[in-house]
Amino acid sequence: MEEVKNGEKLTLVTRKPCFGLPTACPTCLPVYIYLRFAQLPFDVEYNLIYPDSDQIPYVEFGSHVVYNNEKGGVIQSLKDEQTVDLDSDVSGIPEWVSTKAMVESWLAEAVMYELWVGSDGSSAQKIYYSDLPWPIGKCLYFKQIHMVKQLLGITKGNAERREEEIYRRATTAYNALSTRLGEQSFFFENRPTSLDAIFLGHALFTLHALPETSVLRSKLLDHANLVRYAENLKAEFVDADSSSSSASPSQSDPSSSVPKRGPSNWKSNPKSKPKREKTEEEKKFKRRAKYFLVTQLVAVLVFISLLGGSNDAEVEFEDGDDGLDYE
Amino acid sequence: MAASFEDNSTGQPKDDALKSTAPARTEPEEDNDNDDDDSQEEDDDDEEEEEDDDEDEQPPLTRQARMQSDRAKMEALFRRLSTERVPVRVHDVLIKGNAKTKDSLIEAEVEALKTATTVQELLQAAGIANARLQRLEIFDSVNITLDSGPPELPGTANVVVEVVEAKNPLSGDFGIFSKPEARSWSLEGSVKLKNLFGYGDLWDGSLAYGWDQTSEISAGLSLPRFKGLMTPLMARISLLSQDWSKFSSYKERALGFSLGLLSSRNHDLSYNLSWRTLSDPSQISSRTVRRQLGHGLLSTLKYTFKVDRRNSPLRPTQGYAFVSTSQLGGLVPDYRSLRFLRQEFDLRYAFPLGLLNAALNFGISSGVVFPWGNGFLNRPSYLPERFFLGGNSSPVCTLGGPTSILGFKSRGLGPAEPRRQVGENSTTESADASSEMDFLGGDFAVTGFADLSFDIPLKVFRDAGIHGHAFACTGSLTSLTENSYREFSLTKFKESFRHSAGFGIIVPTKLFRMEVNYCYILKKHEHDRGKTGVQFSFSSPL
Repeated sequence: MEEVKNGEKLTLVTRKPCFGLPTACPTCLPVYIYLRFAQLPFDVEYNLIYPDSDQIPYVEFGSHVVYNNEKGGVIQSLKDEQTVDLDSDVSGIPEWVSTKAMVESWLAEAVMYELWVGSDGSSAQKIYYSDLPWPIGKCLYFKQIHMVKQLLGITKGNAERREEEIYRRATTAYNALSTRLGEQSFFFENRPTSLDAIFLGHALFTLHALPETSVLRSKLLDHANLVRYAENLKAEFVDADSSSSSASPSQSDPSSSVPKRGPSNWKSNPKSKPKREKTEEEKKFKRRAKYFLVTQLVAVLVFISLLGGSNDAEVEFEDGDDGLDYE
Repeated sequence: MAASFEDNSTGQPKDDALKSTAPARTEPEEDNDNDDDDSQEEDDDDEEEEEDDDEDEQPPLTRQARMQSDRAKMEALFRRLSTERVPVRVHDVLIKGNAKTKDSLIEAEVEALKTATTVQELLQAAGIANARLQRLEIFDSVNITLDSGPPELPGTANVVVEVVEAKNPLSGDFGIFSKPEARSWSLEGSVKLKNLFGYGDLWDGSLAYGWDQTSEISAGLSLPRFKGLMTPLMARISLLSQDWSKFSSYKERALGFSLGLLSSRNHDLSYNLSWRTLSDPSQISSRTVRRQLGHGLLSTLKYTFKVDRRNSPLRPTQGYAFVSTSQLGGLVPDYRSLRFLRQEFDLRYAFPLGLLNAALNFGISSGVVFPWGNGFLNRPSYLPERFFLGGNSSPVCTLGGPTSILGFKSRGLGPAEPRRQVGENSTTESADASSEMDFLGGDFAVTGFADLSFDIPLKVFRDAGIHGHAFACTGSLTSLTENSYREFSLTKFKESFRHSAGFGIIVPTKLFRMEVNYCYILKKHEHDRGKTGVQFSFSSPL
């Protein structure tokens, strides 16, 4: 667009940065990385008060705005308007298209599940609600959990089945991507495409923002080449601005553990999930609690009705003064 | 001797009863009234007593002779009352008729009766107590009777308060009101539940729909006396949604709880806690509005000081009024809630000109809003709390801060920013230019007006209350936050004033008050939405 060519700077509005990432929200990070890949200069601004908006992230240039909920997303809109199109060569390759579809559906679902339902919610609280006053943050958090469960089709009955399915798909996707990547630097044609942006965003989020007990994170750590890919590209494209000297050249030795969360320091203790027994115990407990409450209520009602009958004789004090003097 | 007062249930205390110490000329009238009351109120028992008296104690008197002697006694009493202070002590206050209402509530309203030392004071206090009980709105009728005390204690009186509780606790209401928050008029329906728990509590639920797509649903509770507090306590929760898409490209939704802490004639203190969400479903907002979209928690304390000495709130011809409203936001220790300070002043002055019931009204209103807290100099003020000028509300009648300059549309002037450009057509038609601007409001607003109102010299119009007026308005809206205050200068400030003048007719009807004005815009800025021409405005009738 002319505005971009005139040198007017792009502004990207995303959610807040934390966990060492330029933006910690899994929908905003791919857009950030895509703009980095395209080597377009842009400013970043943060919106800290609208966690439930689907308009964020958005890109502004001049008086034009590209929202994430229009025309297929920010990346797609940027490609359509020929602002920056990294996929011109690969968009015809069927494998590229299906790999991208797999990442955008299975891995996105897995991250959504892990962030809102699977983990204890501390990451979500930090990313989305740490700048909102407590009562609002809590309400929106519960609302979001409910919405995610609806979106993923999770109900009380099929919770375990859905979880298993989500993790199975994630594992399949990681295996496929690992095989596809091999020892290359990028997935296709040895140069960055929007697929790399999307997967890199996913991988960085999973590795850095999810807690160490996360199951998804442990599955990703099983594939060393994917982890290496993520760390290398992070050092080259994402951390390039920061003056950290630990940005080592691309083939970093896994054993050199100078950065605090370097590859060899990845810890993962996915919590063992005795969920099945827990839910049965929970059900028994809930049933017993219900019986107890009902009994209590009946007892109180009986008490009131029995004793209420003996309180009918109320002394009408005022009536005693009826004999007023008229003279 | 017995004296009794019966006030009817429309709540008008009998003035002649209070004026019992007035000159003797009114006595005969009072005499007759009280005699009639006597005979009405002291029913069968009295007549029986009279008959008994007649039979047993006194020599047989004809009925006429007896009435004459009673009248003579009454005259003697009132003569005594008007010439000297008749000392009396209240022995007992008896409350009858309250099945549901708590005694403590009624006793609190008639408290002053116990301390009366003379009959005159007692009469006055009785009238006032009656009015206060009527004002609670929970009784169908209230009678306060003064009787003599027990015979062994001379110089004492007993007060008997007899109330009839409202049979139907539920009442409904439907009307057209003007809402200062929405700055327009709205249709409102409400349901009231009176005295549910016996404490004089008034519960109400209401639904309001406004002219500019404002809708509000709320429920409230009003307690006249809560555990010894002198002023009534009011609590309200509401869900309000306002649509400012046409003016500033955003929609506002607020879930709020407000508590009225102090409410007297001159002072008003209230606390408000609300969760506000700004959203833009149309996705065409300008940059400043985009930055403010999201959620916010407002915890504010609002204090209003009001002195209104004008002779009429709708058509003042004499007097002055002063209102100062201060609002402090961010009282919750949470640093993430919205912190701002808002101050408004209103001054009105009216003086009569004599001819044609004409009067000259002057007024000036100003307001300023500023954030506080960390980095407050760089932070923008919260968009819904800014000042917006424009709209058709009459500056003479409204006392709610700087809000209107006649001739300009609602939110039609002040700092504006272009909206998001959609599509490739960068060739903006200048005629449409103003419709593509978002009005952002300002942090510092000043409005002033001068208004000459006069009766139209035709009897038909005068009787209907229709009158005419000629006016001149001016106003300015500037922004101070985000370091704009550094560029503030007096010349720029003078430049920022808009002017308008005109004349019109005001038609007050039972349902609403209509104004038809012809406005001429004398000065406006490039993007302001103001048009020279005829405009109508409607506001509430009271």
